[in-house]
Amino acid sequence: MSKFTTPLVAVAALVCTTLVVFENPSALIDAAARPPVMLSGDQQQSVLELDAYGKGKTTRVAVQDFAVEGGDKAVADAARTLAEVLWADLDFEKEFYLIPRKSHASIPPAPTPEALPFDQWTQAGADLVIMATARPGANEFQLDLRVVIVRGDKRGQVLHGSTVQHCTTRNPRACAHFIADELHKRIRGLDGVAQTRLAFASDRDSVRMSQRRLADSNTSREIYISDYDGFNQRAVTANRTLSLHPTWAPDGRTLAYTSWLDGFEDVYINTLDGKPFTRPVRQPGSANWTPAFSPDGTKIAFSSNRSGDRDIWVYNRTTRQLRNITNTPGADSAPTWSPDGLKIAFTSDRSGSNHLYIMNADGTAANRITHTGGDHDRPTWSPLGFIAFNSGGHPGHNITVYKLDTGQTTIITDGIGDNASPAIAPNGRHVAFATTRWGRWQIAIISYDGQYLRQITREGTNTSPSWSRSP
Amino acid sequence: MSTQSRSTSLVLGLVVAFAAAAACGRKPPVAQPGPTTTPPPATTPTAGPPPGPTTPPTPPGVPSEPAITSNPYDKMTLDEINDPARSPFKPVFFEYDSDQLNDTARQVLQENARVLKENATFIITIEGHADERGSPEYNLALGERRALATKSFLVSLGVGGDRLQTVSYGKEFPFDPGHTEEAWFQNRRAHFMVTKK
Repeated sequence: MSKFTTPLVAVAALVCTTLVVFENPSALIDAAARPPVMLSGDQQQSVLELDAYGKGKTTRVAVQDFAVEGGDKAVADAARTLAEVLWADLDFEKEFYLIPRKSHASIPPAPTPEALPFDQWTQAGADLVIMATARPGANEFQLDLRVVIVRGDKRGQVLHGSTVQHCTTRNPRACAHFIADELHKRIRGLDGVAQTRLAFASDRDSVRMSQRRLADSNTSREIYISDYDGFNQRAVTANRTLSLHPTWAPDGRTLAYTSWLDGFEDVYINTLDGKPFTRPVRQPGSANWTPAFSPDGTKIAFSSNRSGDRDIWVYNRTTRQLRNITNTPGADSAPTWSPDGLKIAFTSDRSGSNHLYIMNADGTAANRITHTGGDHDRPTWSPLGFIAFNSGGHPGHNITVYKLDTGQTTIITDGIGDNASPAIAPNGRHVAFATTRWGRWQIAIISYDGQYLRQITREGTNTSPSWSRSP
Repeated sequence: MSTQSRSTSLVLGLVVAFAAAAACGRKPPVAQPGPTTTPPPATTPTAGPPPGPTTPPTPPGVPSEPAITSNPYDKMTLDEINDPARSPFKPVFFEYDSDQLNDTARQVLQENARVLKENATFIITIEGHADERGSPEYNLALGERRALATKSFLVSLGVGGDRLQTVSYGKEFPFDPGHTEEAWFQNRRAHFMVTKK
């Protein structure tokens, strides 16, 4: 374990051995910025280390105020934001218990792991302290990051040490999200979602649609995106019409959605670089909606009435071929792909009321999976072996989870307001959905077991969320 | 990429921008829901439409008496024709979760069919709408069924199907944003828009 006690010198010596490059979620905002990079030498032992350490209880983590070399004001502000966002990102996954930062405000930040006031930290309840020093450079800064054990016989040992480069004062949140995902991966073996984003439809900047004069609700809705935590919300379409059902392509740069731009329902595709939309499945006389990218991004499943009946169709983006894969009487809609791309779940009223079905991705072997009720819709497939969907009831709808191995269903929202259109985080642990519990429709996130509800949007009416699969 | 919107909508096949601008919006139904006992939406926050863009005084578009000889719609813009106060077309209303046309709806559609026959150049878009109950996606399909049922009945009355386009807005554009039975009734509708004359 002496490896983990190595201070900065040894870490610096290991710098060249690992170089992890992740795409920067802020790249679209600040194209000139380089993505953060984490340089470290602690790869494989940290998971075991912490498991041995945190046995029997949740490891309690404190995020100390970060030190700033040279006292640059902009860097100091960025470092403060970074520490707060890192705290929130780590708290989001509940892998650790994050000690409220206010509760240890009286403990002086230490410059080095050896200088940490261990007794004070154990008194504050901490098992681990995350500390960092920000070192300003040209237009950016780097962080020397340490996760230090402060309790027990290993106190003072550095569980994780790294140097994070290319943090910017313009977007410290992006750097915090990057670090959070790295720490979750390296310490807990978890794919975090701090660098992912949400998309949804919002009327907050709506204009009155052509020829619609009467009601306030008859206004346009654009597609918006935001960071996973609701920050940096911004419109990515300016269609000035009704647009719904955004869905991320796996590249994190492309969105498909349903829009009424020419007066009728069709699937549109926008990239986030401002290029004009495309309409690859457009066919005069057909109404197309609820697109869903396959996990490899090569196909789009969607609902269309082009055969005279509403079916699930699959568009191959490479060959540009279209296939009707349900071709069964009744309205089939809202397809979702399994994470391995081999199956598609969807909604159908073929039985007389709305139920969920799973079929092979080529349309064979369709199998009904819900049998009670009759008001189920909008399935979304989690890599953790369940499908979340919207189920009817009284008075409103609830988000419900169907376990694929047992067939057991569990309602995870609490019946407050109407709850609709669930979307699963790429690690399967969180569900974004639309809810009226706070008045108008808003986007919320809840963990898949129904805990930790948090509100994401507050402005306007916001519906049909989608969760990106990658940064 | 061509700009056709629907098989029946050759009329929209102009320029992309023009088609988008002309067709991207639809209007809710007339202020007088016509059939049955529907209360007028006096309490809705609709505040009444502005009394039409300033145009010379046109013949009052009395819905029950579409002009026979000198057609009043010749001089009206589409916006004016689709003004709820002037539109010659009445909406039809549906029962909860249903796309069935009841007797009242059929009577309204017979009248609408007559107007369509008298104005043989009119191209109509039938919008299907739903009340807020049920999921957003389900209501899209329900609105579609309502629009298609309305179209089918008009075709059975001799109106050319190529003059009738359909679209669903699901529950996204309630006529009455309230949460009462009365509001829901008004929102379960097929609404007529003239998209070309």
